[in-house]
Amino acid sequence: MRAGFAGLNRAGLLAVLEIRRMMVNWGELAFGLALPVVLFALMYGAFGQDVVFRGTAQVVDRDGGAEARAFVEQLDALPEISVRERSLSDAERALDRSAILLAIVIPPGFSEGLERGETVSLRFLQHGNGGDEGQVVAALARAVALGLAREASLRTQLAAALGEGEVSLAQDLRRQIDATVAELRTAGPAVGVQVRTIDEGNPGFIHRMVAGLLVMFVMFSVTLSSQYLVEERQLGTLERLLTTRMNARELFMGKFLAGIARGAVQAVLLLVLAFGTFRLGGVAEFGGMLLLTALLLAAVSAIGLVIGALAQTPDQASWAAAFLTTYMAIFGGNFIAISGEGVLGWISQFTLNRHVIDAMIAVLSQGESAWQQVGAIALMLVTALLGLLLARWAFRFSDAGAVA
Amino acid sequence: MAEDFLQVEQLSKSFGETEVVAGVSFRVRRQEIFGLLGPNGAGKTTTIRMLATVLQPTAGEAFIGGHSLTAAGAAVRRLIGVCPQELALYPELSAQDNLVFFGRMAGLSGKEARAAAQEKLEVVGLLEVAGRRVATFSGGMKRRVNLAISLMNRPQLLFLDEPTVGIDPQSRNRIFETVEGLRDEGVTILYTTHYMEEADRLCDRLGIMDQGRLIALGSPQELKATIGDPHQVTLEQVFLELTGRRLRDTA
Repeated sequence: MRAGFAGLNRAGLLAVLEIRRMMVNWGELAFGLALPVVLFALMYGAFGQDVVFRGTAQVVDRDGGAEARAFVEQLDALPEISVRERSLSDAERALDRSAILLAIVIPPGFSEGLERGETVSLRFLQHGNGGDEGQVVAALARAVALGLAREASLRTQLAAALGEGEVSLAQDLRRQIDATVAELRTAGPAVGVQVRTIDEGNPGFIHRMVAGLLVMFVMFSVTLSSQYLVEERQLGTLERLLTTRMNARELFMGKFLAGIARGAVQAVLLLVLAFGTFRLGGVAEFGGMLLLTALLLAAVSAIGLVIGALAQTPDQASWAAAFLTTYMAIFGGNFIAISGEGVLGWISQFTLNRHVIDAMIAVLSQGESAWQQVGAIALMLVTALLGLLLARWAFRFSDAGAVA
Repeated sequence: MAEDFLQVEQLSKSFGETEVVAGVSFRVRRQEIFGLLGPNGAGKTTTIRMLATVLQPTAGEAFIGGHSLTAAGAAVRRLIGVCPQELALYPELSAQDNLVFFGRMAGLSGKEARAAAQEKLEVVGLLEVAGRRVATFSGGMKRRVNLAISLMNRPQLLFLDEPTVGIDPQSRNRIFETVEGLRDEGVTILYTTHYMEEADRLCDRLGIMDQGRLIALGSPQELKATIGDPHQVTLEQVFLELTGRRLRDTA
């Protein structure tokens, strides 16, 4: 019992030593912490905003009347559109050199025509189909023009019904109509637009990005933990450690714990940033993600030790770890959902990433608890245990591990 | 006559088809400095690695303080200190932290390890720079830290594998004084070196190894007497006479 505690103590001391060595290297530490922050910032910049259309309407107002100005103002008031007014010649030159692909021309007589209840037209000058932006701007311009036409038509019909120049009642009514129309304009469109991601029923994009990024960073720590034994060998401290009371089991446990602790620094930082920025959930979701991350770190740390026990040089360890990380990222679906069918689906079953990311997304998107992710938890625990045993077994065949 | 603290019996080690140590037998008395000499590749370091429980012998046995090397490795480790030929230090840490860490690994409590670290750093003349990172030390200072670490568990048998390679005369002299002081305190020392004058000065008895075998054993005087007048002959002449002049590390 006492010996067991002493052994655990030595393993803990070895883990603490690794952390201290990391803390001493300020440059390496800062780099290690900056990496997830930078990647997260890039991710936030790319995906953190609402995805809405933003375009510029190039408008040539050759009319200058009240209805033409109303058209320009209403178009500019749309959140998706900003208006740039040009002269006709300027617009034509810009179209000639493809600086713009669509210009909306308000022809002379547009306002008078509308006020008389006549059919008037906007003219669209465009290159080809006007481009994606042009088509959207054109559609929105048509909608605004249609609204104006309906208002004008309503006014005309009411005036005709009441009779021109009859009584003051008609003028009062006209003022009331104008006021009501103005009120409706400021109240916004009668039909609103609601944006919803098209993958309803599947994990949200942000959830997958966060889980994928987190798992990717944790997988990177394979490289770090694979270097522990190789580095000790190169420093000569491995043999020295094995001439103390520390045995190989304690050595591996110490390195295993160090791998978890070292990776946890980056992982927790990333989790805090993600939860704070994207409001991914409450304490339960955060705790669940933390648990799954810790288990993944354990599995990854053990895999790193297997590589470290087999590799004889830092390069060998680095390449093996890089291969494994790349394999897991490509076939594990870090950033794209992989269906369970086909060759890719079959291969992805043999990656930790696939199972852990699915479990994380279930916690984030579907309100499940981490404990419900039995398959993923079992996989990570078995990987950690098998990894430790395999690393110890492989180490036995190395010079330094022959006796220990 | 002092008891044998280390008994080596027909110790052998092979790597694949290559027999690096071939049936080596010798005994080292308590409080004795025993020198193991030999050209490069003679098997000295492999012998020490086996005795330090790092390598499993292919055949043979050794007893350290009465404990079997092959059956009671953990008990053996409590009695030994190892100063390896290559520096075995954490360069990012201070000298003090290196010593405390290895002291803890050797079974000392935190308080004991800190006290022992101060004491050993004073012995090797590095107390004033105890808090400095080892990476900033000169070669001689690193060698002295290397030695100090091996003393942390107060070993009864100390393995010193070429502890003075590549250092200045001052550091070398300090190591000599430390080794002699340890012998006076009752520590048994197994010492390997390529410097014959060093072996002549420090060692009570010597074993000369070549091609994995022990080819001569005796005090420096006894070995010198095998080829001439011990007052006229140098240990280097004995060494060359026994091992030949052929270069060993060119093949």
